[in-house]
Amino acid sequence: MAAVIWAAFHWAPLAAGFKGESSRILFFHVPMAWVSFVAFMTAGVQSARYLFGSRTPQDAQLDRSAAAAVEIGLVFATLATVTGAIWARIMWGSYWNWDPRQSGIVVVLLYYAAYEALRQAIADEEVRARLSAAYGVLGLVVSPFLYFVLPRLGFSLHPEPVINAQGKMEVEARMLTVLLASSSGFTVLFYWMHSLRCRLGAIAARRLEEEN
Amino acid sequence: MGGPVWVTAVNLVIWTGLVLWLLRLDRRIRELEREP
Amino acid sequence: MSSNWAAEAAAVFAKDWRCELRTRHAVATLALFAVTTLVVASLVLGPVGNEPARAAQIVPVLVWLILLFAAASGLPRAFVHEEESRTAIALRLAGRPSAVFAGKLAHVVTLVAALEAIVAPLAVVLFDLRVADGFAFAAALGAGGLAIAAATTLLPAIVAQGRGASTLFAVIALPVLLPALALAVAASRAALVGIAGGDELTLLLLYDGAVVVAGFLLFPAIWNP
Repeated sequence: MAAVIWAAFHWAPLAAGFKGESSRILFFHVPMAWVSFVAFMTAGVQSARYLFGSRTPQDAQLDRSAAAAVEIGLVFATLATVTGAIWARIMWGSYWNWDPRQSGIVVVLLYYAAYEALRQAIADEEVRARLSAAYGVLGLVVSPFLYFVLPRLGFSLHPEPVINAQGKMEVEARMLTVLLASSSGFTVLFYWMHSLRCRLGAIAARRLEEEN
Repeated sequence: MGGPVWVTAVNLVIWTGLVLWLLRLDRRIRELEREP
Repeated sequence: MSSNWAAEAAAVFAKDWRCELRTRHAVATLALFAVTTLVVASLVLGPVGNEPARAAQIVPVLVWLILLFAAASGLPRAFVHEEESRTAIALRLAGRPSAVFAGKLAHVVTLVAALEAIVAPLAVVLFDLRVADGFAFAAALGAGGLAIAAATTLLPAIVAQGRGASTLFAVIALPVLLPALALAVAASRAALVGIAGGDELTLLLLYDGAVVVAGFLLFPAIWNP
């Protein structure tokens, strides 16, 4: 099974780490951050399909899919932030520095936490789906800026950048392989969790209908 | 942080646990879906 | 067909301004907030412009924060008020969603421009600022102002239909505006000091464009029941 293959990949990080033991955590941190981006892009695409696709019964499923993607994306983004902070502590001595990359992911967390807050605030199903979908599509614009533009820009904001986290690309081939393997593993994990979450949501919705 | 053995052990525990848990979830959901 | 659209948008723009001039609510809130904060800041900081390096550190951030919070407190009422006073229904019937959005966006843009026209000169005077590149400074103000305008036009529409609209607006507006603000501060700082801020300005304009386009795409879905 795909899951087993991916699980096997994570033995590799132990073999290929070149830097100190501590930077092994990068093999989790970077893929998780990347997958959270994928998750939010998925949410955005599903939201767009909900808003702009032709009206079919699968509408509600698209909305559930977007919401599920955001939930899981938030989980991965939080884990990425935490692992990033741990790594920062080991490498540079403090958990938090308002390094541009750290700030970027925090704002992402805020953005999608707001998505959840928005969903909570609206009772009507259809209105909730429509408005959160709009917000989700807006996320397609905002997220790339937060993930990729803001971190690069940030160096001109701070007088002296304390951290140059992930500023340089991993050149060493073995590290790259492991990173890619780990990323694909985490992506598989995401899609698996996502499909489970969607199915669960569908069952809950069906149950609700049967009661009414 | 911990030697290679320690890291392997943690990895093993986390990943096998996660996979098993997700498989169980999958089974449970499939049962729920089977109900009319 | 397209001339109709422009007419609808212009009508919404005119109506918003007519209401605004009658109550002068938004303008008053914006000006009051901005001027008060600027004065307090100036009292505390003094004429920082005399030390250009220190001024470049502090003033851009300050000015943009003031602009942001002024807008956040003065502007979102518009949609909430529409929903509450039931004029929203009439508005929905009166014109195409994209025209309504265009009219409202134009209205908010002019409001923000007016706000900046007050804040920027006042800041220069109070802080004794030396602006190295006035044109770039104005450009940064314009681009950042557009971002604030777009966000405070689009986002209140999203939250107006939920509970706890104003708190939700604050929660939602910050993540959307943070990239724009960071870029605007960087561009403003560059303009003050005289180094090249072209990159930040370009990115900011790109972000503006993307958000405005997204706004036009999304507004019909948000607006129409």
